[in-house]
Amino acid sequence: MNRLEQLKSSGNKAFVAYIMAGDGGLGRLKEQVQYLQKAGVTAIEIGIPFSDPVADGPTIEAAGNRALKQGVTLQKVLEELQSWTFQVEIPLLVMTYLNPVLRFGVERFATECGKAGVSGVIIPDLPFEHKQLVQPYVDKEGIKLIQLVTLTTTDVRLNDILGEAEGFVYAVTVKGITGSRDEMSEEVKAFMRKVREKSPVPVYAGFGISKSSHVDLLRDDVDGFIVGSAIVEAFNDNRIEEIEPLIHAVTAAHSV
Amino acid sequence: MTKVKICGLKEEQHVQAAKRADAIGFVFAPSKRQVTIEQAAQLAKHIPADTDKIGVFVNASLEEIEDTIAGVPLTMVQLHGDEPDELVEAIRVPVIQAFSIRTKEDVDQLKKSRADYVLVDAPGTDYRGGSGNVFDWTLLDGADIDSSRLIVAGGLNPENVHAAIGQTAPYMVDVSSGVETEGRKDSSKIQEFIKQVKDDSMEQTIEKTGFFGKYGGQFVPETLMKAVKELEDAYNEVKEDPEFQKEYHHYLSEYVGREQPLTFAKRMTEALGGPKIYLKREDLNHTGAHKVNNAIGQALLAMRMGKRKIVAETGAGQHGVATATICALFDLECVIFMGEEDIKRQQLNVFRMKLLGARVESVTKGSATLKDAVNEALRYWVANVEDTHYLIGSALGPHPFPTMVRDFQSVIGEETKRQILDKEGRLPDAILACVGGGSNAIGMFYPFIQDKDVQLIGVEAAGEGVDTEKHAATLTKGTEGVLHGALMKLLQDDAGQVQEAHSISAGLDYPGIGPEHAHLADIGRVEYRAITDEEALAAVISMSRLEGIIPALESAHAIAEAEKQAKAMTADQIMVICVSGRGDKDMATYAEKLEGLS
Repeated sequence: MNRLEQLKSSGNKAFVAYIMAGDGGLGRLKEQVQYLQKAGVTAIEIGIPFSDPVADGPTIEAAGNRALKQGVTLQKVLEELQSWTFQVEIPLLVMTYLNPVLRFGVERFATECGKAGVSGVIIPDLPFEHKQLVQPYVDKEGIKLIQLVTLTTTDVRLNDILGEAEGFVYAVTVKGITGSRDEMSEEVKAFMRKVREKSPVPVYAGFGISKSSHVDLLRDDVDGFIVGSAIVEAFNDNRIEEIEPLIHAVTAAHSV
Repeated sequence: MTKVKICGLKEEQHVQAAKRADAIGFVFAPSKRQVTIEQAAQLAKHIPADTDKIGVFVNASLEEIEDTIAGVPLTMVQLHGDEPDELVEAIRVPVIQAFSIRTKEDVDQLKKSRADYVLVDAPGTDYRGGSGNVFDWTLLDGADIDSSRLIVAGGLNPENVHAAIGQTAPYMVDVSSGVETEGRKDSSKIQEFIKQVKDDSMEQTIEKTGFFGKYGGQFVPETLMKAVKELEDAYNEVKEDPEFQKEYHHYLSEYVGREQPLTFAKRMTEALGGPKIYLKREDLNHTGAHKVNNAIGQALLAMRMGKRKIVAETGAGQHGVATATICALFDLECVIFMGEEDIKRQQLNVFRMKLLGARVESVTKGSATLKDAVNEALRYWVANVEDTHYLIGSALGPHPFPTMVRDFQSVIGEETKRQILDKEGRLPDAILACVGGGSNAIGMFYPFIQDKDVQLIGVEAAGEGVDTEKHAATLTKGTEGVLHGALMKLLQDDAGQVQEAHSISAGLDYPGIGPEHAHLADIGRVEYRAITDEEALAAVISMSRLEGIIPALESAHAIAEAEKQAKAMTADQIMVICVSGRGDKDMATYAEKLEGLS
């Protein structure tokens, strides 16, 4: 059974951690995953570095550039995942721009992800309209193609996207690119409620979640949170333990 | 693409008229369209080998069907009676089973068919085998029929076939009485029907989803989809709006100074001893290059959309200057992203932009050139999408940008066509233009695409040589990939990381190429060649001294290739070179690289 399905049936708020594969060397990926798994995250998104990451903010772009300098590629990341012998108990997702996938071969990408035990893939520059480029291949492997919705997604598109959503829906909480934001508006809350009402799968908020106050504000309106820049930064500064309170703020049982 | 079957043919002229069809049907059952095996065999000789020949039967025996398959010969069989499954399965060629659809129950029956394809038709009247009545296509809604085996018939004609395809998305459409006049096939209706299915759907694929062949598309983050779709709608609206076109052309003539001359290059023609050479003088535009044509068009569009903030990228600075100029003219807020390397190379243009009131943002990431400036401009657009228009400068980016930029630059080719017909009474034999992202080239080429006798040559930057690591020859050396919102040709490594381009000319220093150029290269309509930095510099000198025109470094690539191409041409031929910009902006580079020139 796909691990994302198990996640859905567990009921608690999910905490999805994003890490840039190979930031600090590909050798660190394993310890980072083990650390996050132990710290109680619900799933991990493994970012593949790309030369032109237009959907990412400065923190993740800088991490990607560090990884590229280390010679990290999609192929090497997938090989690394396949080599792991320790028990990965939580779903792993691969987040990559489309071009490395096209270059690697879409079918091969799906097969190798399957072999690596990957549960889902996120391709930020593959919009709903073009998803057939990838969908049939990941379907064959039982891998979910995660869709994104944003504050600028029109209602018509929202219905189309949610109608075919699988795994979970990645709901973008700010209009811009990834990175920290200090304010979370009421508009965001209303948007999350709307998406959650219509979505057949869990709705996770991402892009701009960096502190417990964000979590508190949106807790009742989403099924989980995706945290990227804050984790990438913490790993880079060797102070990952500072993220633990945020993880616990999300995953701890809350009385309503 | 949906296939076309023309059914019930009896005469050779109609078979000829249907030569673009995918399948021809012969009726062997009682009908006014019935033919014998001998007649069908005779007609089949005029049908192209890759066109299916389909025999239509009603309750015939297996023996009869097999004899006909062998006699014509047929490649498929279509059954219109109450044939049992055993018969359907016994036939050795692919089988189409036809169903008359009145109710949802008929649809269920059809889904159980053992045939390779199912044909849906309206109930027949006099004979089995279709009546030409229109059946209710909505009966298929939600029926979950595999569209890859669905053939739609029943009252189709050139007028309604489009709607039928839209509603049912079938594998094939089948027509008979819809292409007849007074009970007899009509060649012009047959051709019109085929055209409606084939040409229209191709045109629509390109216009609707923004693909040129396989290239193009809208590969942008979801955050930008709304803006991209809005732009697509807005552009479709103004394209047809005479008021908008009038305003656009007003500024082109009153502000930019169009139309620009097509100058006969007498001394260059004599010096090369080949064809008559004409120069399209985009260098004479206000701001010094072709970029302003597009900047005006997009700024007018942005204002129509209620957006008064503009973000743009620039390489050589020409597009940045054009955008800053137009923003000053229309009182729009303007931010220009420019790579740090390019800022160094093009300091005068940076100052011009600032003088015009624009904010110039230096981009230090990546190779700090045009590609990285596009990344930053896209990011800025993502974050400010509600009130900001991204005024992209080349025929790049997600749909509708490549189409829109092409259309706004097509004034180059349209004028050229008019002018050359005036001067020479005929079209040129060859046209050359330089290609970075490809906007001046596509604007020059587009009006000539259908004129197959006009050779079109795009000239890329070979930098220090296409076999070195320092070049920008995307079509010569690149591979397919997605960058900046479109599938195109890219310079990239084995892992799909986009590589840095190199050219002495900042305007050609881009690792991708507009999707339409990638398509035109694939189909062979435009030939792409590459010119090195050194060759371009030599052309700067020759053009300056022969014609008194100091060209931009970008344009010098086209001139250098023209000098080579001229050797392969004769005195009775005509060549046009697009001089996309003037060399003022490159004076510092010229002074440095051509030091000691005497």
